[in-house]
Amino acid sequence: MKNRDILSSLFWMAMGIGISYGGYALDIGNLHNPGSGFIFFWVGIFMIGLSLILFINAIREKGTKGELKALWAEISSKKLVSVMAALFIYAYVLTSLGFILTTILLLIFLFKAVEPQKWSWAILGAIVCTLAAYGLFKIWLGCQLPQGLLGV
Amino acid sequence: MELFNYLGIGFSVALQPMNLLYCFVGVFIGTLVGVLPGIGPVGAMSLLLPITFNSTPEGAIIMLAGIYYGAMYGGSTTSILVNIPGEAASVVTCLDGYAMARQGRAGPALGIAAFGSFIAGTLSVVGLMLLAPPLAKFALKFGPPEYFTLMVMGVTVLTYLAHGSMSKALIMAAFGIVLGLIGLDSISASQRFTFNRLELLDGIGLVPIVMGLFGISEVLLNIEQGIQREIVKTSLKGLLPTAKDWKDSTGPIARGSLLGFFLGILPGGGAVISSFISYAVEKRISKEPELFGKGAIAGVAGPEAANNAATGGAFIPLMTLGIPSNVVIAMLLGAFMIHGVTPGPLLMKQNPQIFWGVIVSMYVGNAMLLVLNLPLIGIWVKILKIPYKILFPLILLFCLIGVYSVSNSVFDIYIMLIFGILGYLMKKFEYEGAPLVLAFVLGPMMENNLRKSLIMSQGDFSIFFTRPLAAVSLIISIALLLFPLIPWLRKKREEIPKEETS
Repeated sequence: MKNRDILSSLFWMAMGIGISYGGYALDIGNLHNPGSGFIFFWVGIFMIGLSLILFINAIREKGTKGELKALWAEISSKKLVSVMAALFIYAYVLTSLGFILTTILLLIFLFKAVEPQKWSWAILGAIVCTLAAYGLFKIWLGCQLPQGLLGV
Repeated sequence: MELFNYLGIGFSVALQPMNLLYCFVGVFIGTLVGVLPGIGPVGAMSLLLPITFNSTPEGAIIMLAGIYYGAMYGGSTTSILVNIPGEAASVVTCLDGYAMARQGRAGPALGIAAFGSFIAGTLSVVGLMLLAPPLAKFALKFGPPEYFTLMVMGVTVLTYLAHGSMSKALIMAAFGIVLGLIGLDSISASQRFTFNRLELLDGIGLVPIVMGLFGISEVLLNIEQGIQREIVKTSLKGLLPTAKDWKDSTGPIARGSLLGFFLGILPGGGAVISSFISYAVEKRISKEPELFGKGAIAGVAGPEAANNAATGGAFIPLMTLGIPSNVVIAMLLGAFMIHGVTPGPLLMKQNPQIFWGVIVSMYVGNAMLLVLNLPLIGIWVKILKIPYKILFPLILLFCLIGVYSVSNSVFDIYIMLIFGILGYLMKKFEYEGAPLVLAFVLGPMMENNLRKSLIMSQGDFSIFFTRPLAAVSLIISIALLLFPLIPWLRKKREEIPKEETS
């Protein structure tokens, strides 16, 4: 058994069921006049069929023991989770704190999180990079960036 | 004569100062992302897409196209000096390029890669210029059934050429179609899978999906694995190849150019496959095949010419049919749409300044790349030395700003992060992102043409089999879907070098 394919095929099967149900609820129509759910319904059915094939193949194939655990065996999941969490928090506070403040904090964290740099380097690097990005995107290219607390 | 008039229009557009600047920025950034492993042309194009909002459509496409063919140039530098391909299309260049560098011949290897790329890139633009107009005229005869089946064929070929299980690639394509159709139905205006979110009424944007799948997920994988780079210490003097180098490379460059151009036209085909096939051809016809892998200059010249020629070929289906043949070209299609221009058979008539301006800019861009790649090689080597711990926060920052500035919406950042996690898991579970993105872009057009075809035929599916071109496309698609069921064809499929985008 190939556990990773079993797991992923079940996920896509559930997605396929959800999509075809959603298409059915939207109105499939008929071949003369396909409705807005027509493609969703049939693509969902197609996904269910494919994930079934994948599921059956995964059961028949020989997998390795502890295959799922091995995917994340020699890595620091803490680093990955902390980087992703920082990015979600960045998105959450961006409009209220503003671009400059949020970005400086994010960059300090990123410079320290994965392979820690010296504090002085991390802080200075974060400020310089943020100001450079602000100059490039806001001042030169005229992009709108959230002003937040600082009002800039 | 007509061709010269059109070329005149093209030059008048491409040589405008702003367009020259866009072209330069495009090829410069293309070379940069080509040099740096970990960020590909798709990610770079989605990053820079917001910058083009204030520009003219031709300026935007000139810059984005520059990133595509510039990345092919840059990829060879990393392959030769570090033995890590900057781009998937440069994988094969590592074999002989790095061997040459270790023998102290990094200069001629880089030189022939740049010259070969320049010659092939220029030849492919000539091919594009000659082949696109008659094809566009022919494409005017196509109706919805032809378009629908051609798109089905494009997606099927890409899934056939995807890594690993074809079922997984097809699931990705199906999911891509669903994602592409989220939002208001263009016919009934009913909301589809919007979950009552205002932000989803216009659908999910291409940029957050691409940046998530190819930018964020790549950073996560690199953090986890760590990129080790050991730049070979060698003299970079003598970049100009010797007379013998030229003699050994002329044939491979010519063959690579032809091969790359025609393989680039095919849906799903592209730079990676053409570089591998070029290498195989050169090795097979060489009088000294035993030298391949040990520093044969033909093993650098042929594949590098092929991967650059493929970029020119790949523009043909986009410019004449409006159908992207690979995921990078799908990004360009997205850029055309954002700027309110529909590529296809009418592009040449309705927007000759865009069509010919972009083609001529590719001549100009190829010349700029030659200038960038030879004298500035020292700068690229220095950039290669930037440690990843400094680079990855900057890549993430560019992704965040890039996505936010498309629609000034934090919602898009969340979408990007979700697709970043999805992309990371997809790589862990061996799913490919390219079929998803291509199907995402083609999804709305496929649905539209399918519905139109069925309305035309009053619900009769035989319309797809009674029209010759539609029938041929559909038969090819069905054959490709059935091939993996036949054991020896399945084995052949597994041997094909695969397209990667980042």
